[in-house]
Amino acid sequence: MPSLISLSGLHKSYFNDEVETAVLHGIDLEIDTGEFIAIMGPSGSGKSTLMHILGFLDRPTAGTYTFLGENTAGKNDDDLAAIRATKVSFVFQAFHLLPRATVLENVLLPLLYHPGIASIDREKYARKAIASVGLSDRAGFLSSQLSGGQKQRVAIARALVTEPALIFADEPTGNLDSASGLQVMEVLEKLNAAGHTIILVTHERTTAEFADRIVHIKDGLIESDTSSHKRRKAGADVKLK
Amino acid sequence: MKYSDILTSAFTALRRNIGRSTLTMLGIVIGVGSVVLMSSVGASMEKVILSQISSLGSKSMVIFPGSNQEGGASQVFAGHDSLTFEDIEHLEKLTTIDTIAPIVFMPGPAKRGREESSAQIMGVHPNFFHNQKMSAAQGRLLDAHDNDRAARFALLGPDVKEELFGQSDPLGKEITVGDRSYTVVGVTKALGSQFFQNADDRVYISLSVARQVTGQKYASYITMLATDSFDVAFAHVEGLLRYRHKIENPKNDPEKDDFIVRSSEQANAILSSVSLGLTLFITTVAGISLLVGGIGIMNIMLVTVTERTREIGLRKALGARPRDILLQFLAESVALTVTGGMIGLIFGLGLAWIIAQIIQGFLSTYLFAISFPSMIAAVLMAALTGVIFGISPARKASSLDPVESLRYE
Ligand SMILES: Nc1ncnc2c1ncn2[C@@H]1O[C@H](COP(=O)(O)OP(=O)(O)O)[C@@H](O)[C@H]1O
Ligand SMILES: [Mg+2]
Repeated sequence: MPSLISLSGLHKSYFNDEVETAVLHGIDLEIDTGEFIAIMGPSGSGKSTLMHILGFLDRPTAGTYTFLGENTAGKNDDDLAAIRATKVSFVFQAFHLLPRATVLENVLLPLLYHPGIASIDREKYARKAIASVGLSDRAGFLSSQLSGGQKQRVAIARALVTEPALIFADEPTGNLDSASGLQVMEVLEKLNAAGHTIILVTHERTTAEFADRIVHIKDGLIESDTSSHKRRKAGADVKLK
Repeated sequence: MKYSDILTSAFTALRRNIGRSTLTMLGIVIGVGSVVLMSSVGASMEKVILSQISSLGSKSMVIFPGSNQEGGASQVFAGHDSLTFEDIEHLEKLTTIDTIAPIVFMPGPAKRGREESSAQIMGVHPNFFHNQKMSAAQGRLLDAHDNDRAARFALLGPDVKEELFGQSDPLGKEITVGDRSYTVVGVTKALGSQFFQNADDRVYISLSVARQVTGQKYASYITMLATDSFDVAFAHVEGLLRYRHKIENPKNDPEKDDFIVRSSEQANAILSSVSLGLTLFITTVAGISLLVGGIGIMNIMLVTVTERTREIGLRKALGARPRDILLQFLAESVALTVTGGMIGLIFGLGLAWIIAQIIQGFLSTYLFAISFPSMIAAVLMAALTGVIFGISPARKASSLDPVESLRYE
């Protein structure tokens, strides 16, 4: 069975007014289904850039990205959108909820773009996702009426609702106090235990330690890749490079 | 994204920002509203005029003295003397003319005791009633015998009868016009207004009497019925009068003639040119208001796209394709214009209905009318405006880069 994600020699440069900013300088990485991996590094090291490429929001400048055994180089914008709709989802530092929409409406949003889920089943899926982050009693609230921690849990429910192959979380605790940050990390931990693959991006060691494997990035290169066995679940197949 | 979802999303977005949506729609509401209002009023007017034309029939003709240059019918009553009774004797001999009825106006007022009426006094040839398809509601019309012996009889329009006699029976009673008295022999059936004159506020007496009283040698105007084809009769009348009045007018320049021939056919033609003008006017108003409304919508949609940059980035991250975003914003602008159009439609119809109730007070043949084609056209134009002016904001939204958009502050 192929890895979920396989990167080799991945490069990324931004071009603004013909000025090249090289951010990733050749990343090699394998990630398997079921992992809870943290990508760590100082601010500006290229973590988010890497996550955007892994999540099909952006494309690499060079190198190959194989997703579920398939080279992604030939895919057009609609193909990438279809993968985002069905296979991956995101939890952002800034939550990105629609403020004038209810919790339920926010969680329903991804289902609009998911071709496999019938309209009549949508609410059932959304309520199940909301329940799994412990916010059933807030389903009818406007998202602007929630606390930061609750907002991030709604965002997690929104990420869950399409049952994606993997969930990206980019500094999910960055806008939260430590208590709600802890709560959010526990939810992610629970999801991983339930079988979801999670790729966490963070610059905080304490947050990264919730993961089973920590990849350090510095100046666009992988500096270290370590597995922490204490949290490893039985049967998880983690490859070390 | 399913079409039903696109539609729901569009209306949800508009509802979430109801204040701005309302303001944005205003231009379209006013545009469509005024088009619907004017086309309804136009349709009502057309019906009024058409009912008058068809009530007279297509062979009905009228000759006024004077020339077109001077403003036609409104100048007629100033007392032009170009249509002499000799002319009329010759016109009568034309085989293409069936019946001819000269009219002589007489100074009023008509009185009964101290009651005074504002009615117009018309000395008419008995053919007049035939030409105008008139009949008596009470008593009888004036006939050829009355005319031959210059009997001092009067026939009242229903409004005059009401004014002078109220509910009492006028038949056999006397009224006075000037220093003479006349016996009422009948009351005509109500005609309503004809070409915006009240045809029921008239006193008719025989032409011979009017000529005696006024000493007038010419007709104030003439009504006729063509035997067969109006066109031929028209040419004959024109030719004869030009010959008798020694007018050289080979190019049919209406300013050279000292008479004006009008037919209901022509009125029809004038009417259709008027309604064409009205249509052009309405179209122009619609075009301008939809253009203004459309530009407003484009600006607001561009602001909306900018404001919702993060939402667009989010939707793309959740799997929206560029065309999903394009259709979503296009649907929002079309939903705005169509909703605005519907509201405008309701307002326009409501206002037209109110106006109809008011006008009916003094023009009973004016009925509230709806022009379905213009209603449909107005709403379709509104929808089209939404597409045309929504496309560039929607394009802008769909082409946004997801990562940049999510980072947008
Ligand atoms: N669109 C862009 N154009 C130019 N430079 C960019 C762009 N996006 C990110 N960068 C640069 O790339 C580097 C890595 O950014 P990022 O991946 O966001 O870092 P991190 O998430 O690790 O803080 C930073 O120096 C940043 O300024
Ligand atoms: Mg970052």
